[in-house]
Amino acid sequence: MRNKLFKLVSILMIAMFVLAAAPAPAVYAAPAKADKVKITWWHISTKDPALSDWKKMADDYMKAHPNVEIEITVLENEAFKTKLTTVMQSGEVPDIFQSWGGAGLSEQIDAGLLKDITADLDANNGEWRKTFAPAALAVFAKDGKNYGVPWDMGAVTWWYNKDLFAKAKIDKEPATWSEFLADVKKLKDAGITPISVGEGHTWTGMHIWSYLATRIGGEKAFKAALDRSGSFADPAFVKAGEELKKLIDMKPFQEGFLSATHDEMQATFGNGEAAMELGGQWSPSVQAANSKDKKGVKNLGMFGFPAVEGGAGDGSDVVGGGNGFAIGKNASPEAIDFVKYLTNKDNQTIIAASGTGIPVVAGAEAGLKDPNMKMVQKTFASAKYFQLYYDQFLPSLVGGAINDNVQKLFAGTASPEEVAKAIEASAAENITKK
Amino acid sequence: MQSFPTSPNVSKNPRPPLLSRKTKDGLGIALFLAPALILFVLFLIYPIIRSVYYSTFNWNGLGPATKYIGINNYIKILSDKVFMQAVQNVLVIIVCSLAIQLPLAMLLAVLVGRDLPGRGIFRTIFFLPYVLSEVNAAIMWMLLFNANPQRGLINGVLVALGLPAVAWLADMRVVLFAIFITLTWKYFGFHMLLYLTGLQNIPTEIEEAARMDGANAFQNFFYITLPLLSSPIRTSVYMSVLGSIQQFIVVWIMTGGGPVNASETMATYMYRFGFVRFQLGYGSAVTIIMFILCVIFSLIYQQLTKKPDYLTGL
Amino acid sequence: MQRVLITPKWMRKAVPRFFQYLILIIASILIFVPIVILMFGSVKTTGQMYSRPYDIPNPPQWDNIINILTTPAFWGMMKNSLIVMISTTTGTVIICAMVAFVLARLEFRGKNFIFNLFTLGLMFPINVAILPVYFVLRQITQMGIPLINTLIGVILVQIAFQLSGNILILKGFFTAVPTELQDAAYIDGCNNFDFFWRIMLPLVKPSLAAVAALVMIVSWNDLLVPLIVLNSNTLWTLPLGTMQFQGQYGQDLALISAFVMLSSIPTIVFYFFAEKQIVAGLTAGAVKG
Repeated sequence: MRNKLFKLVSILMIAMFVLAAAPAPAVYAAPAKADKVKITWWHISTKDPALSDWKKMADDYMKAHPNVEIEITVLENEAFKTKLTTVMQSGEVPDIFQSWGGAGLSEQIDAGLLKDITADLDANNGEWRKTFAPAALAVFAKDGKNYGVPWDMGAVTWWYNKDLFAKAKIDKEPATWSEFLADVKKLKDAGITPISVGEGHTWTGMHIWSYLATRIGGEKAFKAALDRSGSFADPAFVKAGEELKKLIDMKPFQEGFLSATHDEMQATFGNGEAAMELGGQWSPSVQAANSKDKKGVKNLGMFGFPAVEGGAGDGSDVVGGGNGFAIGKNASPEAIDFVKYLTNKDNQTIIAASGTGIPVVAGAEAGLKDPNMKMVQKTFASAKYFQLYYDQFLPSLVGGAINDNVQKLFAGTASPEEVAKAIEASAAENITKK
Repeated sequence: MQSFPTSPNVSKNPRPPLLSRKTKDGLGIALFLAPALILFVLFLIYPIIRSVYYSTFNWNGLGPATKYIGINNYIKILSDKVFMQAVQNVLVIIVCSLAIQLPLAMLLAVLVGRDLPGRGIFRTIFFLPYVLSEVNAAIMWMLLFNANPQRGLINGVLVALGLPAVAWLADMRVVLFAIFITLTWKYFGFHMLLYLTGLQNIPTEIEEAARMDGANAFQNFFYITLPLLSSPIRTSVYMSVLGSIQQFIVVWIMTGGGPVNASETMATYMYRFGFVRFQLGYGSAVTIIMFILCVIFSLIYQQLTKKPDYLTGL
Repeated sequence: MQRVLITPKWMRKAVPRFFQYLILIIASILIFVPIVILMFGSVKTTGQMYSRPYDIPNPPQWDNIINILTTPAFWGMMKNSLIVMISTTTGTVIICAMVAFVLARLEFRGKNFIFNLFTLGLMFPINVAILPVYFVLRQITQMGIPLINTLIGVILVQIAFQLSGNILILKGFFTAVPTELQDAAYIDGCNNFDFFWRIMLPLVKPSLAAVAALVMIVSWNDLLVPLIVLNSNTLWTLPLGTMQFQGQYGQDLALISAFVMLSSIPTIVFYFFAEKQIVAGLTAGAVKG
């Protein structure tokens, strides 16, 4: 009897495992066939057209290189980060994966998880390197060495609703911060919500602060804070907080902005319920997708962040960012060759034409069809100083501290001095002196 | 605790010699426990030990941990105002759960009762939120709580009734309450089910008899029904407190712990500082603190309820 | 005589019944509001969802649902989810029943220790344990037993994290079976394991079914474990499927609604039919008050 019982239990358990194993017997265990080079690629373009574009590029490459097998894993942004963090702790890393550059990349480099591809870029007299816009390529470099390449790079700019501006009798785009504040007042007086922001995702409002800091302190103040000869409690950063507070005190934002998500911020603007928003190159497409009629703002305009009177920063300096591919430490020469293929002029033109990104390879910008994207591309290209998003560029704890503390300004729970001090406290602890 | 000897000497039947039987039983018991113990040690005990180990390092999760810092992570966590805010928020959620959610579940359980025609339908409806995923619940309630009366149904109703709209998730004073409403919607059905199963076992005769003796409905409930439900109540309180300490997904999706930490829980704190900001040593330390809090609570609770097998009454 | 008695009883019951129903119906409506909004959302555009989420969809976008139902990927995920759910549930119930029986009905050294060990699991939820759990999975995989990127990996981790709670619950059910039965069984010559198999399991069958239903819900809705364990999207389960509607910069709320609604239907239908048995099964264990 007892034997019977154990037999039954074990049969059940075996059955269960067989059942579970059946549909996927060999996905992991089977090593790629001896003659095939396997490339693992994780990207986050979950939607078409990018999803199909990437897939087609991989298929085409495999067709031309029968010895290569490319395994693509497509993950949603947040899920991607969670999964990447989890696999990296055990030293595992995909051959090619989505990266935003900055400190995240830098920490992966320090941990020895990425491959130095400087030599590949420089081969044949820098043939590959020369194709990229230098500022964009630099996002994926550290100490003069490259560990990845960009495929999209843009700028954060003000987007505005021309019809609402006309309604408030604003006839030109503000060139200075005081003009900007005056326009906000005009909009308010006309009964229009001036700005849509999504502080539920703290980085949306943080960009206003970081742009103000860039305009007031310029590259110099930021670099000084970074090499620790200066600090984030310096007057430029306090002043940035004060100017932001001036704006916040005018109550220019939509209802519930403190918990609104980035999606809701785009929906508010896209539905014409607010006159402006500060956002990156992706804004027009998300505005449209989240708007009632799927078309977004009919008369959309764009202007760069206005200069602050007396500030050290140039009006053309740009805060921005984009997407790229980092190269994992175990990447084969084939993987690098495949990345080269992904970022060649033809494929970059495809990315540009489908509106997936703003190309970083010279000549591919001709593929851009959307006038908004062309404007962003020009803004990026004409910048003398390009600053990657603060929360991406700085160590994640410092970036996080900026997001958290700037949110306190929006919530009215801290003064500009306190905000600057709190950010500096985190910087002092987490940025090592060079 | 039930105790029954493995070698029931009461038995008159012939049986194998005592020694061999004992060894066999030992083997049998081991075999019965083995699958559970293997999985448990591999996926729970070992990870707990590993987390304790990680928690003594300044470790960004990339490659092996090398910067040993002793108990510094713990000191930093316990002196962090944001973590204390998270602890406070968790306490608020616990108190609200015990004071509002569980009594509500009890009320509905009593109303559904044992003999109401159509009670099956109500039971099914009330348990429905528990069947849906937490992600689901969070997305739905985010839409309901939208600050704009034209978009958020709750504010729409408030405005229609002539009341002022509330910026539910954006107002630091009410955000925790909004989260609590969502949690109540999601989980009260589970607690109600626990109470219902207890109610089913109370013989109607007892209450009938009490009524005959002149007890009114309230006396009946407080003096007869409630004491007889003590076991499912103990279980549900225990589950509710542990669940509150570990609450994560609903809060993370709805507010991410904001605005300005107003709805931070220990688990969202762990996730933000451990995972999102790549401080996995620090995050592990938060995990261990949460674990210790749960253990301490369990020990105290066992002492208070004087029932070592506090869940056996379910 | 009879008529005199009947009328007051009816009267006595009618008024409370009215309020009973009133409160229950109001509560039911409150429960349903968010679900109805989700159902509306599943046949709207994302824009409508962000602008007027609680309006009746007009015209309904049946395309949302049709498009999902006609993608092979959806059915693939449905199949994977079913495999994982059935295996996790079977495994959890069998393994937990064995442990619960031993803990509830037998005496041996170290019993209390083992019982307390299992309760620890309640205090270490999967979302805080995920990093070390992945580490273990990877080490086992490197030893030649593939757990990463297989459904078995998902199933084993899910079972492991379902053990504690369900052992505790099942232990209650086993304890509640009268001791006299055990005496009688031994007198008849049963040994412990005959007793478990022939007498205990049939007795607690309704309770096992109830526990199985609770495990199924957790397994079906689990997002984190499949996310960490699975790489190839041919192995994905339904909760991972919403990822295809979440871009880096925006999410397609309407399609997400349609997807989660469609993917919850199996559990809702299941629960609707099994509800009576679940309540009955859970009730059986509650004798011990």
